[in-house]
Amino acid sequence: MENLQTVNNFVAAYLKKKGFQDAEQFLEDLQNKDSTPIDFQNDPDLANFIQPFSRSEDDPSRYHEGYGKLRSWTFSLPDLYKRELVRVLYPFFIHSFMDLVAKGHVQEARTFFNTFHEDHEMIHLRDLQKLEGVVSQSHLEEMEFARSLRQRKVNVKICQYSYDLLLQYLRKTESTTMLAVINEHINFQVIPGQSSSIPDDAEVVSLIGDRQDVNQKEILWGLLEDSLEERLEKAGGLLSDSEKAEGETKEGDIDETKKRSVESGKQGASTKKLKKDKAVNATAKAARPEPTTASAAPRVNPELPLPIMPTEVEQSILEDLRKRVQLSSVPLPSVSFYTFVNTHNGLNCSSISHDGSLVAGGFSDSSLKVWDMAKLGQEAASSVLQNENDSSTSEHVMGPNGGKRSYTLFQGHSGPVYSATFSPLGDFILSSSADTTIRLWSTKLNANLVCYKGHNYPVWDVQFSPVGHFFASSSHDRTARIWSMDRIQPLRVMAGHLSDVDCVQWHANCNYIATGSSDKTVRMWDVQSGECVRIFIGHRSMILSLAVSPDGRHMASGDEDGTIMMWDLSSGRCVTPLMGHTSCVWTLAFSCEGSLLASGSADCTVKLWDVTTSTKVPRSEEKSGSANRLRSLKTLPTKSTPVYSLQFSKRNVLFAAGTLSKTV
Amino acid sequence: MSIVPKETIEVIAQSVGITNLSADAALALAPDVEYRMREIMQEAIKCMRHSRRTILTREDVDGALSLRNVEPVYGFASGGPLQFKRALGHRDLFYVDDRDVDIRDIIEAPLPKAPLDSAVVCHWLAIEGVQPAIPENAPVGAPSNGKDYEQKGGHSVDIKLPVKHVLSRELQLYFDKITELTVSKSDSVLFKEALVSLATDSGLHPLVPYFTCFVADEVSRGLNDYSLLFALMRVVWSLLQNSHINMEPYLHQLMPSVATCLVSRKLGNKAAENHWELRDFTAKLVASMCKKFGHVYNTLQTRLTRTLLNALLDPKRTLTQHYGAIQGLAALGPKVVHLLILPNLEPYLRLLEPEMLLETQKNATKRYEAWRVYGALLHAAGECIHDRLKIFPPFPSLQAQAVWKTNAKVITTAPNKRKASREPMDIEPPLKRTETDVQALASTSPSSPHMQEGTVTPPPSSDSGVGQSSSDGKVIDDGRAGSGVGKQKGDSQALKTSAILKQVWKEDLNSGQLLVQLFELFGEGILSFIPAPETSLFL
Repeated sequence: MENLQTVNNFVAAYLKKKGFQDAEQFLEDLQNKDSTPIDFQNDPDLANFIQPFSRSEDDPSRYHEGYGKLRSWTFSLPDLYKRELVRVLYPFFIHSFMDLVAKGHVQEARTFFNTFHEDHEMIHLRDLQKLEGVVSQSHLEEMEFARSLRQRKVNVKICQYSYDLLLQYLRKTESTTMLAVINEHINFQVIPGQSSSIPDDAEVVSLIGDRQDVNQKEILWGLLEDSLEERLEKAGGLLSDSEKAEGETKEGDIDETKKRSVESGKQGASTKKLKKDKAVNATAKAARPEPTTASAAPRVNPELPLPIMPTEVEQSILEDLRKRVQLSSVPLPSVSFYTFVNTHNGLNCSSISHDGSLVAGGFSDSSLKVWDMAKLGQEAASSVLQNENDSSTSEHVMGPNGGKRSYTLFQGHSGPVYSATFSPLGDFILSSSADTTIRLWSTKLNANLVCYKGHNYPVWDVQFSPVGHFFASSSHDRTARIWSMDRIQPLRVMAGHLSDVDCVQWHANCNYIATGSSDKTVRMWDVQSGECVRIFIGHRSMILSLAVSPDGRHMASGDEDGTIMMWDLSSGRCVTPLMGHTSCVWTLAFSCEGSLLASGSADCTVKLWDVTTSTKVPRSEEKSGSANRLRSLKTLPTKSTPVYSLQFSKRNVLFAAGTLSKTV
Repeated sequence: MSIVPKETIEVIAQSVGITNLSADAALALAPDVEYRMREIMQEAIKCMRHSRRTILTREDVDGALSLRNVEPVYGFASGGPLQFKRALGHRDLFYVDDRDVDIRDIIEAPLPKAPLDSAVVCHWLAIEGVQPAIPENAPVGAPSNGKDYEQKGGHSVDIKLPVKHVLSRELQLYFDKITELTVSKSDSVLFKEALVSLATDSGLHPLVPYFTCFVADEVSRGLNDYSLLFALMRVVWSLLQNSHINMEPYLHQLMPSVATCLVSRKLGNKAAENHWELRDFTAKLVASMCKKFGHVYNTLQTRLTRTLLNALLDPKRTLTQHYGAIQGLAALGPKVVHLLILPNLEPYLRLLEPEMLLETQKNATKRYEAWRVYGALLHAAGECIHDRLKIFPPFPSLQAQAVWKTNAKVITTAPNKRKASREPMDIEPPLKRTETDVQALASTSPSSPHMQEGTVTPPPSSDSGVGQSSSDGKVIDDGRAGSGVGKQKGDSQALKTSAILKQVWKEDLNSGQLLVQLFELFGEGILSFIPAPETSLFL
């Protein structure tokens, strides 16, 4: 106490000397009123004005009163500052509420919540729904969301003037409770200049504090060196040069391209030094004048040992790449739609192989069914009637009751199948289930090969890496895991999400995975180190789908509300939100050259978005807000069929799948 | 404080056998119950999303419970949504309707059809960005989430089959019943009910083509069956009245049968049957058809009038046909009469005259028919002239008023008045029966509103005398007597205004000439159509 007194005296003297009469007066008043210590730990500017937070004075109605006053004052401000301060109200609101709950004033907390929650419903509806149920101290500790809010400080970016305004107001009205909230839970980052200079995005008030540091890490978003596309370009050039020499054997062709690729590897070695993120950006910018082909992206080395691709497969892929239709905003893709019928509401997920010939469906009755569309097409041509005999179908399609099945049935799971994924070559399928396992099936042998156990809770999603062999899974146990086909234990466990990890997706260069979670964030993880390298904040509800652009630079994520967000991986910022869907976005897919984004939703539409227009926009323009909205090119309504999965084939035909439902 | 009231906790506690739960404990448990419920629902929503659904189901809740290592809730495995019922006497107490099911019923019930196996069908949603217009795709421009088409069988193959017109079982029964009534029991009360139903029920539209066919068939088959024809015409009439049905596309099918009933040589088997009545009714029917659909089906009236006029001007046709034609034309309105009948009136009457006279036509039936035709002509001409004269506003209103006023007295004074009303007719040619008819026609013709009834209800049958006619029905009597009285009263009242009217009348020389012409042709019979002051004026 003695020490405190001296400090106070010192401050008073300082203020007198500097001529801060108001502050001096205020300080004196303070000292007269009570003698509990002042919190000096924050910046001195703030500490000067903050009255102590004392439990003896604690009265539940003060929160109500204090917040109510602050709110009406905020709404009476001029528009310029109102916009900023209205956002700041939200942390005040939730912390006031939680303070009330923590102190056991449950009734008052309820009244407080009911009185003021409407202000925040538009932006924070889902959080509020969660918080609404909290009625006791123990709930606060139990609930992940509440705990994380209590433990961390909210970061608020605010301009100098608004900050001063706020403090002045709180000081004048002596709203000790509100000042206490600031003291305990809010970390103001005061930015010099006008309030309009602060970007108008969700991260201004970020509830999760450590993001800033994470997103500083560098990320190598470039493509893999020596990729097939690259080879094709060389080969393409070669072909055009020597069109007459086409009579050459394809072997020779391939040899040629291999030689070239060795050369390019040498070239790549020189650019390897430019691994730093910014440097990569710079090169990308320099390369911008060129068209958006993937070649503009820098090359990186694979960090995973990649499986070796058989030559004939390589050849067929090259063939596909040559025949690929160039898509942009004008030539739109053809969409082939696979409709699941008679699923009796049991279809949980579907997946389409990369060439579109196989379709898999995971059902809630634990079964996984795979249709061979090539075979189905033949059958359909020969027989429309189901009971017609057709000898071409093999034994495995025989059902238990002797009836014919048009699909291969994979049984093995003991819970609803939540996800399925085809290996790039279509010879394997992975499925994940509520029984916490992931199973590997062979489409050649029609049998279960491996059962991967590792997760402790239902596995929501599983995805093969773009090169095959490796796969990633995500689960209710809040982790994502990396596996390889030949080991039954996970290679990496990515922990960090605050809630279920709902979806997972590989980066094009296989060095990263992206995960979307119920905590409304998307994170990017380094596969090699298992570290979180990016956190993307901005969604307002659970993330349901992810897609990474083929050039590895952008990522799209779709959520429960129907919002799709495009992210710039290097900066960790949202390029632009894509509004249009009215219900859950189940699936997203980039076209092969990355110019189009397709999204499938529960509102029974497939939407095509123009991605090039926005991603080409230079960064200076990007900052100017809504000028660079991605264009919605086309909406393709289906016939009451929610779209479950989308897949662009190598030739840029879009395959979509969904189940016919009468209730939707 | 919490959305779960403590009473609920107490009830639940009792249901699991805890009777001595203290109020404090319930109060403390209530918010926690709410919190747990929210928690479970949040997990259930996650399960729902991962099952790619937007509707929460029982399985999702069970999944959420198993995530929390809680025993799932048993007993709600039925597929359908739960039916909540409101408890009697409580406004906000609901319970799940859980009926007792006899296990024997379930065992004995036939096995339901095995559900179809899931399958995948493939189609092009878009070709180079353009959606092909195939049945698998949502109709262009229509909202995709509408329940536009139920692809129940899964395969869209049956779409390409020709569209079958499916009549529901109820409609088929209805149709059978109606046709049966029409054919066999057209005089029953039930048939009247059926007609009302035909005239008012919605949802009969699918049956219209069948009714049209039925009417056409029956008319061509049953020309000798008077009651059937009448019943059929009544059916058509009722259908026309129905505001939920658009008859327009079927008129071309209906019109021939209806016209048959109007101008056919012979309707019904026996002379005793009153085919005049049928013709009158059909004439009205035709007129209402023309009125209703003339503007959409613009050749309707021209075609009809041509048919009728041909029938009328052909001397070879029988008098009954002529009668039908005249009635049909007359029903189409005074303008038609003026244009088509009046120019032909004189030559026609010349032909008709010998038929009417006792000396020249010995056959009583023929003579009667002739008088019928004469009455119809008189009526038509009278209507016409009345229409021309009534352009003068003060008079008809006076008359109508007078009629209404005197109507009340009619019942008591009826015999007397009728006598009086018959007086002007006494000049008419001697035949008693015809006289009554003419009188009936004449007296019913002025267009005061309640007179319409007179035309609908049949005039006294041919063999009934004057005395019988009085017992024919009060409506007719009222009408007749009323009009008579009206005329008389109108007479006296109108005399006062005749001075004014004189001037007006002078202006309409045409009408005057027409009147004179008609007077020459019909004698005094026409006078009953002419408002009294004018009569005095012209006479």
